[in-house]
Amino acid sequence: MTRRQLVGRALGVGLSLPVFGGLLAACSAAALTEATEVEAATPPAQAASTRPLTPTFYQWIVDLHPSLPLVNANFQNTTPLNFQIAPVQGFGIDRFVAEARDKSSTWDVYVGMTPFVEMSALIEADVIEPWDNYIPKEILNDIIPSIRNECTVNGQLYSWPFLLDIITMGWNKGQSDQAGITDMPTTWDQLVADGKQIMTSNTAPYGVVFDAHGWRSLAPITHSISTNVYTPDLFFDFNSDPALQALDIMKQMLAVSAPNVLNTGTTDAGVNNTPDEDAFAAQQATYFVKYQNAPLRFAATWPDPSQLQLGPLPKAVGGEGATVFWTTGACLFKYGQNKDKAAEYMKSLTYNDGIWKDSISGTPTSHPGQIPPYQSYYDKWSVNQPTWWQSWVPLILDQLKVAKAIPNQKFGLSQFQIGQSEWEKYLKGEESDPKVAMRAAWDAVQAEAKKSA
Amino acid sequence: MASTTLDFRRGAASGRAAFLARQGANWVFLLPTLIFFIGWQVYPIFRVLWMSLTDYHFLRNQPAAWVGFRNYANALADPILLTGLLRAATFTALFLPGMIFVPMLLAILVDRVRQPTLAATYRLILLIPAVIPGPLIFVLWKWLYNFNIGPIDYFLVQVGIVTPQTAPQWLGDPKLTLPAIALMEVWWGLGYHTMFYLAGLAAIPKELSEAARVDGANEWRLFWHVTLPRLRPILLVLVVLRFGTAMAVIDEYLILGGFNRALPTYTWTVYMWDLAFQIGDWFQGYAAAIGWIGAAAMLVVVGGLFWVFRSRD
Repeated sequence: MTRRQLVGRALGVGLSLPVFGGLLAACSAAALTEATEVEAATPPAQAASTRPLTPTFYQWIVDLHPSLPLVNANFQNTTPLNFQIAPVQGFGIDRFVAEARDKSSTWDVYVGMTPFVEMSALIEADVIEPWDNYIPKEILNDIIPSIRNECTVNGQLYSWPFLLDIITMGWNKGQSDQAGITDMPTTWDQLVADGKQIMTSNTAPYGVVFDAHGWRSLAPITHSISTNVYTPDLFFDFNSDPALQALDIMKQMLAVSAPNVLNTGTTDAGVNNTPDEDAFAAQQATYFVKYQNAPLRFAATWPDPSQLQLGPLPKAVGGEGATVFWTTGACLFKYGQNKDKAAEYMKSLTYNDGIWKDSISGTPTSHPGQIPPYQSYYDKWSVNQPTWWQSWVPLILDQLKVAKAIPNQKFGLSQFQIGQSEWEKYLKGEESDPKVAMRAAWDAVQAEAKKSA
Repeated sequence: MASTTLDFRRGAASGRAAFLARQGANWVFLLPTLIFFIGWQVYPIFRVLWMSLTDYHFLRNQPAAWVGFRNYANALADPILLTGLLRAATFTALFLPGMIFVPMLLAILVDRVRQPTLAATYRLILLIPAVIPGPLIFVLWKWLYNFNIGPIDYFLVQVGIVTPQTAPQWLGDPKLTLPAIALMEVWWGLGYHTMFYLAGLAAIPKELSEAARVDGANEWRLFWHVTLPRLRPILLVLVVLRFGTAMAVIDEYLILGGFNRALPTYTWTVYMWDLAFQIGDWFQGYAAAIGWIGAAAMLVVVGGLFWVFRSRD
């Protein structure tokens, strides 16, 4: 072989590496098991424990809740614990699924599951099992009914709820006062008008910012008009009148918003750390539509965080006045171990007063702004209000009464990712007819569903 | 006589044994590489090929069924794949010229620096970006390109070229996204690629350029007729390798563009990933077919590149 041939062949192999690297990525998880191993074996009711309880957390929960190490330390006083961070960037559950296909699990419980995002896939892939055999009845009954409903599939609780998020509205009172706005906007028309006033009075560069991801904007705005926007197979009906009306509201909001508000975020494959957060934190925008902990976290960076106000999501005239909520909770790995211990751990975590104090009142390092999923906490606090109580807590609770979760199904989250590029054509002016844009979004989602069918 | 024949046979037998022993020893030494090659390269390739011919869905607890070339037929009619390939090709076309000519020019300049300390300093500075891990580079440039707080837009606003409202959205405007990423990639690979050219320049005998100068060649003719032809093997290596990596980029796209299908960062590689690990039941059979189609398209172009850069000696 000549030197030229050697170089040529080496180049051929070298070129193939990145390509086949990609292919390998697509098959690596699959390679863990044979496709023909199909029978979902009944797992042992309680596998023998060969290790300490091994919970794994989504990184953001650890970042936002500084009290977590204290909970772990207390639990470790009685039970061995091997606390870990989960390999789930961008909601990736591939590792969990691959292990379950091999009928094993490195971890016992995963804290970070959002029901509408990944719960259906984890159930279908036989990765998780219900908590019903392990969660004490009094705790099950303590879960707020709408949250319990969100976490339940076929009558069984698959997610032990922990942190509650609801899409609400926050605003910078210092700026709204400066612009001469005295009342909280209660309708979308009012919000857009107030946003214009902020900009025309040169109080701030932008009036309103929102998160462009559909489950954080299109769906909640639609719910404020009607929650009856899901098809029998639980897809979001992009062609429904409320969805079309919501898209139009978004277009009006975009006119008084930051020009980059439709851009992707900087973490979690674009899902988090989105441009609306930068604008609100930098006091470049006055009104902010997002889950309640976002304005709380970003107002904490202002010179005067007390200027933050929180209010319910504006309504459409004659609309239902609902919004979207979701919880982030824990799932129990079917092939994990220590299942009773996992339930004890979840009890100690979710009934920890320190966690809720820090979450509601904030700490020097963070302000998670998430509230408990249990009714008993609110009953207790209504009788004996703690000193660290925050006035926005009842507001969130009131919103929960009217909020609706996005239904659990395999396209719960991805339907909004798939359709976004289509409905945004109307927002960007590339398509003049909202019906055409939403039809295209619907078709794109259905095309993916058909591929998977 | 009989004794001589026996000795000969014995000798032949012991020769064969020695030969086999030598061969066996060779195979023992080759075994680690073979295991790596078969387990890490051959098996995954054939595994993916098999998957691409089935309806394999990773989340389903059902056996994969053989579907022949149906996934390929569907993928070839899939507008998202075709758009994704076109987007990847556009990025490659933007990236490759900058990757070829800028480092070449720089290498020729650095090669002429005769002061050893200065030459080493230039090389060191050029190599710094190449030793920074990729994700760190992407996050750094994402900040540089940030619309609200990025220094590039801040500078443009300060000098009055744009306003905060009309500042460029480097990673949000579909027209700017791929050029912005190509610029980042050229910067990142500048030192690395320059080193390739410097190695090539060092191999060119100085007598050639001296003789050309004696014959009256100016700098341009020297470059065109002496330097460039001698750098052709380096060009081939760089163009073929970087063509492959540019067409198959995924990390940068995921970090800088996420899964937004409206952005040109949603190429065939991101689509393949999206299908295999995010959407529905994770239809990996279809994703594997997309991978093979992308690989085949690239190999065709590589064949063309080998022809373009073939030896003309």
